[in-house]
Amino acid sequence: MTGTLGVLRRLLDGLYKGSGVLAALCLVTILLLIVAQMVARWTGELFPGAPNYAGYVMAAASFLAFASALNGGAHIRVSILLNAVPVRIKWLLEIWCFGVATAISAYFVYYAYWFVYWSWKFNEVSQAQDATPLWIPQSVMVVGGAILTIAFLDNLISVLFKGESRLGSNIVDQSFGE
Amino acid sequence: MTELLAIIIFLAVLFFLLGTGVWVGVALMGVAWVGMELFTSRPVGDTMITTIWASSSSWTITALPLFIWMGEILYRTRLSEDMFRGLSPWLARLPGGLVHTNIVGCTVFAAVSGSSAATLTTVGKMSIPELRARKYPEHIVIGTLAGAATLGLMIPPSLALIVYGVAVNQSITELFFAGVFPGLVLALMFMGYVAAYSFISKGWQPTMETAMGFAEKVRNSRFLIPVMVLIFVVIGSMYTGTATATEAAAIGVIGSLVLAASQGSLNWDSFRESLMGATRTSAMIMLILAGAAFLKLSMGFTGLPRALADGIAAMELSRFELLMMLLVFYIILGMFLDGISSVVLTMAVVEPMVLEAGIDLIWFGIFVIVVVEMAQITPPIGFNLFVLQGMTGHEMSYIAKAALPMFAIMVLMCFVLIWFPELALWLPESMRSVPQ
Repeated sequence: MTGTLGVLRRLLDGLYKGSGVLAALCLVTILLLIVAQMVARWTGELFPGAPNYAGYVMAAASFLAFASALNGGAHIRVSILLNAVPVRIKWLLEIWCFGVATAISAYFVYYAYWFVYWSWKFNEVSQAQDATPLWIPQSVMVVGGAILTIAFLDNLISVLFKGESRLGSNIVDQSFGE
Repeated sequence: MTELLAIIIFLAVLFFLLGTGVWVGVALMGVAWVGMELFTSRPVGDTMITTIWASSSSWTITALPLFIWMGEILYRTRLSEDMFRGLSPWLARLPGGLVHTNIVGCTVFAAVSGSSAATLTTVGKMSIPELRARKYPEHIVIGTLAGAATLGLMIPPSLALIVYGVAVNQSITELFFAGVFPGLVLALMFMGYVAAYSFISKGWQPTMETAMGFAEKVRNSRFLIPVMVLIFVVIGSMYTGTATATEAAAIGVIGSLVLAASQGSLNWDSFRESLMGATRTSAMIMLILAGAAFLKLSMGFTGLPRALADGIAAMELSRFELLMMLLVFYIILGMFLDGISSVVLTMAVVEPMVLEAGIDLIWFGIFVIVVVEMAQITPPIGFNLFVLQGMTGHEMSYIAKAALPMFAIMVLMCFVLIWFPELALWLPESMRSVPQ
């Protein structure tokens, strides 16, 4: 049993890490797209649709990084109450937080899935110059959202059975956003 | 009557979710969902996805991760040593001495970093030990650093201004330039305070620097040339209209990589860490923005922002009274929430109010930034306090008390902005007249 659980653990950690790395590659891609667009403009060429591509990759960078940011403790929460209450109450609060978060993100994934499904079914195409079939970039919402949901659930189970979540707290990542 | 009920329900759910520790972005989605389910008959799930997709895939917001990344790269260079070495010979003779390196250092770094806490960490890494060794009063060292680091949010680039610009649909470049002079004035006010304090205080007996000849001073500050060039290129490209904010951010990332490489501080590890750090931090903000976009829509459907704006208009407050009300409101909010969350959370409601009162949104952006800066140094929640706690080991209450005079100066700055709105508006207007 430990064997199966151990494999699952490694699989999940690999999933979070892998999606985080993909998100980082998306960030590099944004940089390259913008540079390419600038260079094209300065040399009198055209790179039609570059802003749209950058936007799609931006969405990918965000959605794919949500789970690894969560595990890295980068998402901001108000922790005054959590830090002030006794351990037992804190445990209940953590269950509440991860429960609500799992529910909300699962809800998101469900509707995102159908959104992308209809976008694919009706073959919706971007109105801008890039004319991308929209389901391709949009499906990253489903994938990233699903990984985030798994991460929330993973932590919820950890709180329930081990008494604490697997989140670190990363004040540097949080604070560098402000 | 429904409006009053809507307000009460929105607030109750919001406070409950945030207060119990649900992550800000997720909590905003939850509130928005409750609001839409209760007060509209629209399909909530579909609306949610459409809105969040639109807000996460926008081209304007791509400036955000790039500026974060730029700051992360520079944070890992030798810049903080160079800054202290380059600035200290020029500032040592001013009344207040080397404490000014805190303020000027933050001002300079703020021009390449969009984050207040990153500015604080980079400048403080070097200046705290150096100033302590010279026996400057500890509370002044800590206080000025906490206060001046908030310039990171005001002087372009600024993450908070990008977020504000996206929230109210204003030009990010114009917002950036609106922040330049208020930022410089605020820095001067901090410096004035330090100078005055050094005259008045009896305990002010730091070790004096050995005098340095002009040539030697210049030689010491040659290390500042690369960062000055970087500032010039990034800000200059936006001012002349050669580059948009996003493009300037891309130029900034490449420039920082070149700068780091030329110093020998760029290797695979530092590159990877800067990139992963930027990815996590930008995902953190994007989750909040996704939640805020949905909340804005949800509140819009209930008619709440409109009703509140009408309500405020009916009270016939003068512009000044409205701003005072908002000032107090944001200071209280800032005690419990970080800056970006309080901006995106409130803008749906505050924007119509401000427009109704005939206040310019570019000017108001700067006003909000000053107020949000205060949130960085007000307990119990304030990022600069947390970061300084980690760096110095002092109690939070000590740091907050040390930063209190800076808080007062920022409040004064709000009034300066109200009395002299041109301070913020002149530069963006002059920029518009530059032939593009």
